[in-house]
Amino acid sequence: MPLEAPLPPIRERVAELNRRYRHHSAAAVLEHALNDPLVGPVALVSSFGAESVVLLHLVSTIDRSLPVIFLDTEMLFPETLAYQRAVSERLGLGDVRVIRPDREALFARDPDALLYRSDPDACCALRKSEPLARALEGFDAWITGRKRFQGKARAALELFEDEGGRRIKINPLAHWSPRDVQDYIVNNRLPRHPLVGRGYPSIGCRVCTTPAGESEPPRAGRWRGSDKEECGIHFLGGRAVPGPAPKTVIVTDTGFASDDWTGPWLTPEALERAGRGAALDIGPETDLGQLAGHLEALAMIRVNFPAFSDGRGFTIARQLRRMGYRGRLRAGGHLIADQYAMARRSGFDEVEIAADLAERQPQEHWLARADWQQGDYQSRLREGF
Amino acid sequence: MYEYDDFDADFVRARVARFRAQVERRLEGALTEEEFRPLRLLNGLYLQLHGYMLRVAIPYGTLNGRQMRQLAMIAERWDKGYGHFTTRQNVQFNWPRLSDVPDMLEALAEVGMHAIQTSGNTIRNVTADHFAGAAADEIEDPRPHAELLRQWSTDHPEFQFLPRKFKIAITGSPHDRAVTRANDIGLRMVRGPGGESGFEVSVGGGLGRTPVAGRVIRPFLPAADLLPYVEAIVSTYNMLGRRDNKYKARIKITLLEHGPEALTARIEERFAQLRREFRGTDRQMLARIRRQFAPPPFEEKPLAPYEAARAADPVFRAWTDTNLTPHRRADHAIVTVSLKAPGATPGDATSAQMRLLADLAGKYGHDELRISHEQNIILPHVHRADLPALHAALRGAGLATANIGLASDIIACPGMDYCALATARSIPVARGIAARIGELKLEHEIGPLKIRISGCINACGHHHVGHIGILGLDRAGVENYQITLGGDGTETFAIGKRAGPGFAHDEIVPAVERLLRAYLQLRRDRRETFIETFRRLGGAPFRAALYPSKDKADAA
Ligand code: SF4
Ligand code: SF4
Repeated sequence: MPLEAPLPPIRERVAELNRRYRHHSAAAVLEHALNDPLVGPVALVSSFGAESVVLLHLVSTIDRSLPVIFLDTEMLFPETLAYQRAVSERLGLGDVRVIRPDREALFARDPDALLYRSDPDACCALRKSEPLARALEGFDAWITGRKRFQGKARAALELFEDEGGRRIKINPLAHWSPRDVQDYIVNNRLPRHPLVGRGYPSIGCRVCTTPAGESEPPRAGRWRGSDKEECGIHFLGGRAVPGPAPKTVIVTDTGFASDDWTGPWLTPEALERAGRGAALDIGPETDLGQLAGHLEALAMIRVNFPAFSDGRGFTIARQLRRMGYRGRLRAGGHLIADQYAMARRSGFDEVEIAADLAERQPQEHWLARADWQQGDYQSRLREGF
Repeated sequence: MYEYDDFDADFVRARVARFRAQVERRLEGALTEEEFRPLRLLNGLYLQLHGYMLRVAIPYGTLNGRQMRQLAMIAERWDKGYGHFTTRQNVQFNWPRLSDVPDMLEALAEVGMHAIQTSGNTIRNVTADHFAGAAADEIEDPRPHAELLRQWSTDHPEFQFLPRKFKIAITGSPHDRAVTRANDIGLRMVRGPGGESGFEVSVGGGLGRTPVAGRVIRPFLPAADLLPYVEAIVSTYNMLGRRDNKYKARIKITLLEHGPEALTARIEERFAQLRREFRGTDRQMLARIRRQFAPPPFEEKPLAPYEAARAADPVFRAWTDTNLTPHRRADHAIVTVSLKAPGATPGDATSAQMRLLADLAGKYGHDELRISHEQNIILPHVHRADLPALHAALRGAGLATANIGLASDIIACPGMDYCALATARSIPVARGIAARIGELKLEHEIGPLKIRISGCINACGHHHVGHIGILGLDRAGVENYQITLGGDGTETFAIGKRAGPGFAHDEIVPAVERLLRAYLQLRRDRRETFIETFRRLGGAPFRAALYPSKDKADAA
């Protein structure tokens, strides 16, 4: 209906609408919202996800020409895209608008579609928030499928919400329970998203477990297993299961083995005090000069790398060899498979790694560099290297 | 020119294969992003504002026609049809896809090129005088030493995870065209007491947020000791350099914190140990490399066509006045092809331009090309008789801009248009200044002038060593440009001094214009260059021109 006078501020209208429709059913709320003079142009935003079909069906019984905005982040499951087409056709939706991220922006900010890994917030902004904001321009209100049961933050969800004074959000299903959703789908024989049957209770982008702002689906583990490319960084910190007892793996040119060194390790200070010992543990700060008198008697020295990006241990190894140390030389701490050749060329005999690293970077990754003597420029520029 | 032997070729190929596997392992999750990052950096792959950027090394700035054509092919096939030549003799492709990068590296390997160690906390691509092997003022071609350093630093097991990046530059001439004093190690060739060649070694130079001139720690190092001495420096730095603060991690800070005497003493001590490990194998290698840098078979032919063209064609004459440098043979010339045509982005070359230059190098220049840190392309050995034909061909392609060493031959870093670290745009400023100078038609009147622009404090545009340096900053969300005056990147090295408050984006071009006009009034005569006038008078009269209102206020 044409609106002659400008509408009152959103805050006032939302309060009034909530008062008016407090006791109405979802269908009634929707119907009223679409016809109430207090509400300007309305759109439905749908992800065509696991439960979206409920709201889509409700709308189709009231007004099939209502604009339906579907955000294709271009990171969705192919199943979602197919489902979107099938449902739109089945319900006879007349104005489905498929919104995609801006070409230029995508090209500029995420040309390899890898942004979600380094900065998921930026990815969601690029692929969701910004396109949605553009798509909603000119609308006074939008309909969402959010429900109170979906989590603490939504426990007090109202039927009408003030979206920052800019727009009205209509949540017709606010009071629905999970049971209501299922019953509605079954009773109206609505098509289900194909992935629901495969254990995805909430469906967003292919590469991310949960769409931003939604609660994590209960079966995140299974999702994760199906595609290891997801935002792994988020899970590392949040891993609930404590790792196995700190056991290490020893890597040599022949592959993985368990540690055969059972004797005690001494610090440089302890060695100094005791005057003798077999195995010495040192870090990058250790003064090598102080070890000079002991090198002959030591059977094992472990040089610890505080971080794989801290390359001091390589120079320490070279220097120990230069000082005449001929015993076993082990690199400890954090080194990665790609540094194995550097370690061997610097004079280490072996690398000690944590069990979880050994799992992530299995033996073959390390054995790939067992050829460390090949292609070494130093070997053709100097003697005894 | 150096040709890869089997060892080099196998090495580069194996490296590409390894990187391909690393990309796969990253995608599978075997490598975390944190672990992958240094590995991709060691292979020249950056994550920038718009996506990945691949930085390819042009060791000591030398390449042949085949290599240049391959760069053109790569730009066309996997990028947007152009490459960007940088101030460190690299070429950057700004739009590759991660999945294409292994193929790009393979294409490079086919022509004996790579992107190894063009980024990351390691020894970077060694840069050299771009006129090496051709310049009339040269003691010796420094490139065999540079190639030796390339081999030594490539995949050096000790030095792939240094506290910070490490840059080495080398020049074989007393005239420093390689900005050696702005490098972590600067090597300037000098003659020893007995006339033998060696290097003056400086350490700890660098621009960036703490600009300092390298400090000479060895006035004369015999050339034969180059590798053990350089290794002693890097090895000492690897142990002493700070790892807790990346802004204090460069060797220039190590030098300040430990003091030059203490640091030099440790370096010399390490050198004494290391020297024993280099017992001549390196020198045999150097001799082998040197043979490959033998000068090309120069031609003898009459100079008449050159003289005639100069007399008849003022455009040609203007170009020869600015774009030629004396060659060690008087009948030859070193030709610098300007990539700074009006409106061009400094350092950008299209695939078509790269191919044309490769063709021209084949035809007139013994198939050799050079990239200068000033972001131009050089044909180092052209017979003067061929210059008219070369000029005509360049002119047809819009590559005959006669501005080498002049005001519009500006160095500018990529700035806000590409670089994730930028705080301001630099390319539009360069274009604005060049356009204004073009309008004024004063460029030749002004004469030699080096304008350098950086888009942030990291100073990739070398603004500290510009006669006029411009640094783009972000002041509360607004671009602001600071001017430094009196910088010099040559053997009379100097860090420019800040002139005063910065200028807004729309004020910077007029500010530069005021400086140029002031110079024209202040100079003693036409022969006194901008930097000479500046040195004679100091900054005051230039500052007065920059801030006229303040000056009036002072007078009142
Ligand atoms: S859910 Fe993941 S892929 Fe989708 S937009 Fe957000 S970060 Fe990007
Ligand atoms: S100076 Fe700053 S803006 Fe320019 S290329 Fe370097 S880091 Fe980027």
